[in-house]
Amino acid sequence: MHRRAFLTAVAGGWLAQASGASSRSPAGGILGAAASVGHLLRDGGVPAPQGPPERADVVIVGGGVSGLSAAWRLREAGLDVIVLEIEPFLGGTSASSDDGAAPHPFGAHYLAAPNPEARAALRLLSEMGALTHWDAAGRPVFDPRLLCHAPQERIFFEGAWHPGLVPLDALRPDERAELARFSEVEARMTARLGADGRPWFQIPVDQSSRDPEVIALDRLTMAEWLDREGYRTRFLRWYVRYATLDDFGGEPEDVSAWAGLHYFAARKLRTPELEGSHFLVWPEGNGRLVKALAAASPARRRTGTLVTRVAPLAGRPGVEVVAFEPPGRAYRLEARAAIVATPGFVARRLVPGAADRGLPDRAASPWLVANLHVDRPVDPDLPWDSVIWGADGLGYVDARHQLTTLSDRTVLTYYRAYGGVDVASTRARLAVAPWGALADDVLRDLAPAHPDLRAETSRMDLVVWGHAMPRPRRGFLGHRPFEVPTTLADRIAWAHVDQTGLALFEEAQARGVRAAESLADALGKDLGETWL
Amino acid sequence: MASPAPALPRRYVHPALLASVFVIATSGIVYELVTGTLASYVLGDSVAQFSLVIGIYLFAMGVGSYLSRYIESDLLERFVDIELGVALAGGLSAPILFKIYASYGAFKVALYLLVAIIGVLVGLEIPLLIRLLEFSLDLKELVARVLALDYVGALVASILFPSILLPHLGIQQTSLFFGFLNGLVAFGCTFLFPMPRAVVLRLRGRAIVVLATLGVGFFVATRFVERSEALYFGAPIVYAEQSPYQRVVLTQTSRTTRLFLNGNLQFSSDDEVRYHEALVHPAVAALGRDPRTVLVLGGGDGLATRELLRYPSIERIVLVDLDGAVTRAFSNLPVATKLNGGSLRDPRVVVHNEDAFRWCEESTDSFDLAVVDFPDPSNYAVGKLYTDAFYHLLRQRLGVRGVAVIQSTSPQYARQSFWSIVTTIEASGFTAAPYHVYVPSFGDWGFVLVGAEGLAAPSTLRLSRDELRWLEPSTLPELFRFPRDTGRVPAPVNRLNDQKLVAIYTHEWGQLGR
Ligand SMILES: Cc1cc2nc3c(=O)[nH]c(=O)nc-3n(C[C@H](O)[C@H](O)[C@H](O)COP(=O)(O)OP(=O)(O)OC[C@H]3O[C@@H](n4cnc5c(N)ncnc54)[C@H](O)[C@@H]3O)c2cc1C
Repeated sequence: MHRRAFLTAVAGGWLAQASGASSRSPAGGILGAAASVGHLLRDGGVPAPQGPPERADVVIVGGGVSGLSAAWRLREAGLDVIVLEIEPFLGGTSASSDDGAAPHPFGAHYLAAPNPEARAALRLLSEMGALTHWDAAGRPVFDPRLLCHAPQERIFFEGAWHPGLVPLDALRPDERAELARFSEVEARMTARLGADGRPWFQIPVDQSSRDPEVIALDRLTMAEWLDREGYRTRFLRWYVRYATLDDFGGEPEDVSAWAGLHYFAARKLRTPELEGSHFLVWPEGNGRLVKALAAASPARRRTGTLVTRVAPLAGRPGVEVVAFEPPGRAYRLEARAAIVATPGFVARRLVPGAADRGLPDRAASPWLVANLHVDRPVDPDLPWDSVIWGADGLGYVDARHQLTTLSDRTVLTYYRAYGGVDVASTRARLAVAPWGALADDVLRDLAPAHPDLRAETSRMDLVVWGHAMPRPRRGFLGHRPFEVPTTLADRIAWAHVDQTGLALFEEAQARGVRAAESLADALGKDLGETWL
Repeated sequence: MASPAPALPRRYVHPALLASVFVIATSGIVYELVTGTLASYVLGDSVAQFSLVIGIYLFAMGVGSYLSRYIESDLLERFVDIELGVALAGGLSAPILFKIYASYGAFKVALYLLVAIIGVLVGLEIPLLIRLLEFSLDLKELVARVLALDYVGALVASILFPSILLPHLGIQQTSLFFGFLNGLVAFGCTFLFPMPRAVVLRLRGRAIVVLATLGVGFFVATRFVERSEALYFGAPIVYAEQSPYQRVVLTQTSRTTRLFLNGNLQFSSDDEVRYHEALVHPAVAALGRDPRTVLVLGGGDGLATRELLRYPSIERIVLVDLDGAVTRAFSNLPVATKLNGGSLRDPRVVVHNEDAFRWCEESTDSFDLAVVDFPDPSNYAVGKLYTDAFYHLLRQRLGVRGVAVIQSTSPQYARQSFWSIVTTIEASGFTAAPYHVYVPSFGDWGFVLVGAEGLAAPSTLRLSRDELRWLEPSTLPELFRFPRDTGRVPAPVNRLNDQKLVAIYTHEWGQLGR
């Protein structure tokens, strides 16, 4: 019947108009130059360095959390430290932007309250004033304004929003029972100590137990472990999948059971103040921590600079670094030591001979992050994190959540991890995907819960992370678990979350601090007590 | 048999009927859009509401078309009656729905019923029209013209509705206007064919009644929105504004002025004196010295400020209220300044339209006294202003031995909420002295005096009896005593990351069926 189609179209068209300012489409683009410039490393095409070498005491390659933490560790040594970063901004996968209605993250968006063992992270938080004091039991107490405000989460499940990540009321009894069983196991594993007296799961990762019983979990995938333990209900399987995608960017079928369980059982801090949420959250996510790290060290920082080579000097102690500022100039730097704070696949290309040092060979998960600048009516009860059951992505966080002020403009940060086994072809596909196609994907993925989002969005900025984070596949702990190579060559140290294979803020910091401390002798400096 | 009434010459009949097709088609779509829009306004979820309205409407049209086969004689007469029916049902649809929008259940029933009725009637019309026109054209030509016009009418309606009708005419006037057009068509049709005079007169009589009803409706409709809101608020509205944060409505009768935010009563001039005297004067008394600087958080109505300005020692009052719509109204509207005595324009008063949490974070000032008068913690955004983190900030804004008073909802209706606020205040290092007063408009209402260690419930006031209208020293001790049914109960601390208060509050007021 024609008339019906016509009426529906008329009303539908009007509806789209009435619900937004107009039936407009957002503007936007893909941020980050590194992918294309980085390919120069792989494919060649960098001009030869010219001029006399520039001098510094320490060159740090990479301005991510690992690199900035290394610089932070060296701040009192009275050294001339320079950080070289390929992107126009600092922070790597923890970078952020201050544009728009609220600062917002490009990548990492929260820090779970660190365990007392994550001493470097607690030191930084205390410098920032985020850790206000220690309670009588010796546990850290955080500024309540920084803990994720209520309400924290909601899930769009079978056509409606439910508070929290688990829509308990909407689940079947067998689903609830299995969740309860899983959380018991989670609690037991959290408290569990290995035969060596260390906790089964710890952060920093290298302080975890070496007990063969727990290491044996690395011989299973998370999916195999779930099968073995008889977890079958759809909600629990989804919940665990959400976790492995969220933390590692991988499907349970492609993630080690040790890593999967680490996600649930590594956080030990339990205090009354943390009952509601133990997440430290800033509008710009961990970008705030990046700002604090950068501000806390006198190191020179040079963005937009691609390092193409890091090698020991021939015949005398010291390191030569070749840097390139696209599109033009390439030059050399000479330093007493260097820290390569890049992923393993980059380190291998930069440092001759590094490949022979037994660097772990890690798969990396591709991610897509979208920042949607939206105008919409004030919702006083909007949670921080909104998750859509059955969607491809992990949902979105609201950048204004931690601000107490209400506004009808905000930035929503949408996350999508590509968890399939074939990371290389996904990466290749993403590398050439135009903005419009990716933006459409994002809006389509959110449409079940937000049919009006397109009209509400004025701008959508995308970040395509080809190598977002190492994926801890089955067996990733290797034959000698937690013994990570820190030295790439004489006077050249390595610092990156790739070393242990779990991409966490505390881990990146520990790696940076460790690398800096490992160079004390070469630099002839007494760096005092370790910060780890 | 009576003599037939004179009819239009035949050559005009055909174009006239086609013109009616156009009007009928246009108004049919307009009613669909009107009801769909109202449904999504009132019930929310525009997609679901629109699809339901469209579905019911189309189905009803189908039913109407089918029913047309049972009309066998007196086609024109039936057609005119049906057209008058459309005029009434369609024309009055928006006013009817507006009138009952406050009662959710009735609204839904009326909505779908109206949509179905209009649909059936419109569905009856087109087949009848085609049959009426059969005399002059063959079927092929006829169907082509009628349907073409029908669709053109639909297009015109759907273009006009969002662009011109809704924004310029308003939704009620739009529906009444098209009802009126339908009525005119009906009236006009009585001139088309020869009919017995008695029949013609009867039809015209009906048409005139319908037209008059709709016409009068159209002229009162201008004030109809406000009047139906007035019904909801139970008094005429003298001021209404939709700010980014809330709907601000002031009502006034000869006796009483009331302020509503998002439909919730904030004060009634009948007994606001009790509330504001109880809010301000015990705190000043507990301060134990002449107040010089005061911070007012919330309280954009200026009534607490009015009470504060009774103290000659006051040098400066800083008032922080989120909503400029409220403070502007209470600075400028005569009905408002009559109540607050123009307190917001007093030279000692500075008004900031800002979020109180942020303002307290960023300010470095300190005050003798703070009067905290926020809306109840009914959502997470307001709930932040009832957390330990907020009370820590508040403490930093108070000078040495400064005192604050905090409105804390009703210990009668929301007992655990009230005591949760007290517990939270204590957990943030304050000493708390809770008290309550009876305010007829609200019921038993709670406040908390807060200050440094040693804070005690006052036993005298710093103003004389003539300077106050309700409070007196002899009743003071009574305020600080809680009867057994509102006395202290265990209650959790309300934290930013765990706003238990919001859940408790919604539960407690929810039980009262609000
Ligand atoms: C989408 C996403 C969400 C995340 N969410 C969280 C979270 O919520 N919480 C959390 O704790 N962690 C999260 N992470 C993990 C995050 O990666 C780590 O917390 C941490 O930021 C890793 O820091 P890094 O310095 O070790 O590595 P990277 O961030 O990879 O830093 C490496 C730096 O080196 C630069 N670089 C590389 N090659 C060169 C070269 N040749 N020359 C110059 N510079 C170069 C890169 O541009 C980059 O800045 C997330 C990661 C992603 C991608």
